[in-house]
Amino acid sequence: MERKLSEYISLSQTIDITKSSKKIKIGLLSSFTINGLSETLTVKCSELAIECKSYVAGYNQYNQEILDPKSKLYSFSPDITFLIIDIRTLLNEIFYHPYSISSSERKKIVKEKITELENLILQFKKNSNSKLIIFNFSLPSYSPNGLIETKSEFGFHDMINEINQELSKIVKNESSVYVYNFRQFTSKFGERNIFDYRQFFIGDIRISFDYIPYLANDLMGYVKPMLGLNKKCIVLDLDNTLWGGIIGEDGFDGIELGQTSNGKAFVEFQKELLSLWDRGIILAINSKNNFDDAIKIIQEHPDMILREKHFASIQINWNDKAQNLKQVADEINIGLNSIVFFDDDKLNRERIKQEFPEVLTVELPDDPSQFSAVLKELNDFNVLQQTDEDTKRGQMYAQQRERNRFEKSVSNLDDFLKQLDIKVKIKKSNEFLIPRISQLTLKTNQFNLTTKRYQEEEIRNLSNDSKFIVGCAQVLDKFGDNGITGAYIINKNEKFWMIDTFLLSCRIIGRGVENAILSEILKDAKKNGIEEIKAEFIPTEKNKPAENFLSDYGFKKQENFWVYNLNNNIKSPNHLTVEIENDK
Amino acid sequence: MTNNIYAIVAKVFSIPESQVNDQSSPENIDSWDSFNGLILVDELENHFNIKFSISEIIDVKTVSDIKRHLKNHNVTLDD
Repeated sequence: MERKLSEYISLSQTIDITKSSKKIKIGLLSSFTINGLSETLTVKCSELAIECKSYVAGYNQYNQEILDPKSKLYSFSPDITFLIIDIRTLLNEIFYHPYSISSSERKKIVKEKITELENLILQFKKNSNSKLIIFNFSLPSYSPNGLIETKSEFGFHDMINEINQELSKIVKNESSVYVYNFRQFTSKFGERNIFDYRQFFIGDIRISFDYIPYLANDLMGYVKPMLGLNKKCIVLDLDNTLWGGIIGEDGFDGIELGQTSNGKAFVEFQKELLSLWDRGIILAINSKNNFDDAIKIIQEHPDMILREKHFASIQINWNDKAQNLKQVADEINIGLNSIVFFDDDKLNRERIKQEFPEVLTVELPDDPSQFSAVLKELNDFNVLQQTDEDTKRGQMYAQQRERNRFEKSVSNLDDFLKQLDIKVKIKKSNEFLIPRISQLTLKTNQFNLTTKRYQEEEIRNLSNDSKFIVGCAQVLDKFGDNGITGAYIINKNEKFWMIDTFLLSCRIIGRGVENAILSEILKDAKKNGIEEIKAEFIPTEKNKPAENFLSDYGFKKQENFWVYNLNNNIKSPNHLTVEIENDK
Repeated sequence: MTNNIYAIVAKVFSIPESQVNDQSSPENIDSWDSFNGLILVDELENHFNIKFSISEIIDVKTVSDIKRHLKNHNVTLDD
């Protein structure tokens, strides 16, 4: 349940920022009164240990703030800015009298409005590094044309739909600009609730008090991923969470799943979980049960939606729940703070909350018919950009579990590597790969020689620079596609090549992939008549796994650099195949 | 549920209840600005399950005005 605006306002006066570990600066621009929004955001931030500073522009001052490079907004230098223009402001008198003009005039006005919005976005980008979140426009339920509105030639509602569509198009290719779907917000809570005529006339308030906290909640959806507070993995209990009843008591045929009304609720919940898995959220199981009983349901029950292949870690045993949860995090190699925990049992939830406060433990209601709604209310899974690898993450982690099991079943490492059928595809950077290469440089900490971080724009520039080679590697094996998991940047001098960046995602370390990529770089250099390759290892707190990589390969230390003489043999591992893709 | 209007006024304006009386107004309560005034309307409406008209809202100058309008909506107050 969301709290009242008045409560947020009084809470905002008693915030203790000393407990905050992260900071954010929020700019708020709007065409009407939005009192209370910044207070609510500040409180919601403080509850996540974020110190929030905000700048609220003067009433309807958004144009001046954006167009003037010396405006107070820009000198505040926000990290994220919300631009809230409502449809009444945008269309002005046309909002009331759309049919006082012809359809071609309506089209013309829409074009002008789109240009106006596009220009605001452009100017904002020119003057600020802040992310910009622009609200789209709610569609009034009313039309003066009544029921023939839907037959009107480029009618009132068509105008607003067109503006919304064009706005999305403009923003689609802007990496720092997003459209907030305010239209969807209005349809979720209802026009009659959101718009209160009395508040409108008295204070020019166009989002009524009661709904400001819900709006703030949606806007927090942007703040969380900006600060790395988004969740990546859902850990699930089984009995009375994924199905009704207790397998140990009710048996295979006795549990509720599918068929009954109650059983349908669990199927629905599983479908929603699967849809999150489809887009890259990792799933795992943490259940106190006999393994054989529970896994049989997962493998064989006809109404089960989630199967073994969807889970990256399966902990079904009689161990302590907290210990199991830690085991899940270790197995998948993610932080406890990226985990969401679902369990119908209050005591289990309390146990996890106490042991791991950084885990988001969801307060599940007793009634399973509400599980789906609770899941969909969470706005913790948002990301601000998504690569192919992100969407396949759930799948990749589940394959990893298979791989680990296989590794345990094979007696020695060499046999394991041989039987994995690893294939490394080496690719030169291109427009599709740039976001992923940038993401790898930003996120990879362990196997990373230099830990240099590059934004997308920088990778694009390096890719277009003939003095540099930017490449990456896709790794596949018999269990599936690991995606683009390695990247490198070479600085080409006339006499020698310098390895500027060389990194590997931690989930494929130790399979010879690093040696395969490196030897391809060396071969390429030799082909280009180069005699020496230089590399650097810049130690950090986390990159110990890469410490001995260069010396193990045969690089020799010369002053600050590691050097490989290309007259030496170039060895490459023989348990894997390498493919070079040259298409640019 | 209390029908003590002073308690509601005190909570909205973040002041001790003892400082609220019938003569309380924007003149003598610092935090009573137009925005908090609207928050008060919202609180009262939710608390008593009524809706004020816009003229009633604008007419309010003091706490006793609020009491008068509440009585018109058939609300029985504690005092």
